[in-house]
Amino acid sequence: MSLPIVIADDSLLARKVLTKALPEDWDVEISYASNGREALALYRAGRAPVLFLDLTMPDMTGFQVLEALQHEDLNTFVIVVSADVQPRAQERALALGAMAFVPKPVTQEALLPILKEYGLYA
Amino acid sequence: MPDRVFTELQRDALQEIANLGMGQAATRLSGLLNAFIELSVPRVRVVAVSEAAQALREMTGIDGPVTAVRQGFRSEIKGEALVICRSGEIAELGALIGGPYAQSTRDALTEQELVFDVANVLSGACVSSMLDQLGRLPVFSQPGLLGGAIMLDEVFQPGMLAWDLALLVEVNFALEDQRFRAHLVMLMAEESIHHVSRAIDALLHSL
Repeated sequence: MSLPIVIADDSLLARKVLTKALPEDWDVEISYASNGREALALYRAGRAPVLFLDLTMPDMTGFQVLEALQHEDLNTFVIVVSADVQPRAQERALALGAMAFVPKPVTQEALLPILKEYGLYA
Repeated sequence: MPDRVFTELQRDALQEIANLGMGQAATRLSGLLNAFIELSVPRVRVVAVSEAAQALREMTGIDGPVTAVRQGFRSEIKGEALVICRSGEIAELGALIGGPYAQSTRDALTEQELVFDVANVLSGACVSSMLDQLGRLPVFSQPGLLGGAIMLDEVFQPGMLAWDLALLVEVNFALEDQRFRAHLVMLMAEESIHHVSRAIDALLHSL
């Protein structure tokens, strides 16, 4: 069975770049969100065992999504993918429950070790 | 309609390209000021120069006097980066950080140097990153003070800027827990807009 994942980014270009950076043979069913609110809705619908989350988004930022997830059962691997590479942004995302932080532009080389580390991709 | 110069796909791509540039610039500024910079989504608009001041007022919410530093960049894509801050907030910035700046925040020259440093860091990092993503390597000219306490209308005098149509990319840097905001605006003339457009298509095509 395919693994459901969500890619949340307000930019279509960013969603395309991230989709292309995923391993070609990774058996996933991708849902897309173009803001934080949509991402949260997809999570609540059980579509996001894995959530790739941008930080700067309109209608709930990635930080706000992480905060909201803390009030739920946080039954998801959140991988933050962001252009905001300030050390404090990374620390804050990880403190709010993100499993990993990947700087943009995202590459497969950056994603692979994380997906393997958490057993999401063999 | 100026805003139809780009397709929705191109506009989206340019916004994301600006987003990456903003991230690089924020990291540099954060190091300079030893503060966390809160980022928001960059905005992209194509406007006639006669409408630029009004567009910028809408984008930034600024109505009062500003301090503006301009810096030209050249490659096949050329234009100007303007860093604009509310004049009243600059002293606050000087007081915020330590070292040589803190000792003489009332010194106008020092405040001006500080604004130049901020402007230099923001334009350099953001413009370089954006043009790099578009496959171009810019050469920068020396930054210059456009004005110390001027209104946005004076920043965009149609006669002073030698073009009719301009691409406005507005990026907003906010210091956490401070009022200080810096707005970076990139202005590119019509000829460069076409180069930007083609460079975006090449980027999209490569995906």
